[in-house]
Amino acid sequence: MSDESALLREPWLDFGRQREAGKFGIWVFLASETLFFGALMLTYTVCRIEHPEAFAAAGRETNIWYGTINTAVLLTSSLTMAMASQASETPARLRRLVLVCLMLTALLGLAFIVIKGFEYKEDIDKQLVPGAGFALSLPGAQLFYGFYWLVTGVHAIHLSIGIALVSRLFWVLLRHQLPAKDNPEIEVTALYWHLVDIVWIFLYPLIYLPGRAS
Amino acid sequence: MNRQGESGGIVRRLWARNLLIWAALLALLLLSLVVAYVPMGRMTTASGIIIAGVKSTLVVLLFMQLASAKPLIRIAAISGLVFVIAMFALTFADVLVRI
Repeated sequence: MSDESALLREPWLDFGRQREAGKFGIWVFLASETLFFGALMLTYTVCRIEHPEAFAAAGRETNIWYGTINTAVLLTSSLTMAMASQASETPARLRRLVLVCLMLTALLGLAFIVIKGFEYKEDIDKQLVPGAGFALSLPGAQLFYGFYWLVTGVHAIHLSIGIALVSRLFWVLLRHQLPAKDNPEIEVTALYWHLVDIVWIFLYPLIYLPGRAS
Repeated sequence: MNRQGESGGIVRRLWARNLLIWAALLALLLLSLVVAYVPMGRMTTASGIIIAGVKSTLVVLLFMQLASAKPLIRIAAISGLVFVIAMFALTFADVLVRI
């Protein structure tokens, strides 16, 4: 059985069309995700325009080291994910490289979640959860942290889904249930992973960088 | 042996291309961190967002391979950006004139 016939799914008669449709589908989904996160970031922007001092003071309270290290971790995971996706598309059979890169991607995703956990612990200890006993007095600082908890939580859910998808892919490829070469599932999963990375690329200056210069 | 050598060349080219993009992304991350501590008023905020824009453009065009994608895929990708721009523009048309 050739690789392509093992990967062909209904309702497609042709593997090339299946591949194109999968790619188109995930891009449409990513466009809707862009709007979802765009709406959250727009809310942040409007609140920041109304409370510039409070957002600067609140931004200074975030731990810039956790934020910067986590950004570097996610950027590196995008490198390994891109390598897995591109290696599966080459004429050479690079199954081992695909497997290693998928495993590294999932591990880097997990590392991000663990670091974020330490950061959440510190935030809770510093009483940075909006509500009674909130640490900062400026009105508007609670809006910043409302955004912080909501958007980093939603991002962590997205990343967890990504880790599950990449781990599943690693498992089925490892057990030879599907071929690695030209497997469209790798490309589609990679595109989702990169979007989760891009969301974080924009969250980094919004959450960690305000108020550092003042 | 020949085939092995050929696939070794492909792997090296893949790593060389992607490591270069990754190094650029990390350099931009470092730049945004440093610039955030330079007091330039609104320009400090703007530079953080602009650098994030450059970083995500690199990821979209090169890691996600939109630069070499077919027109249909590009339209799907750009549609998300167009609607986000519309959402921001219409909201700012209200918010910014009230200040």
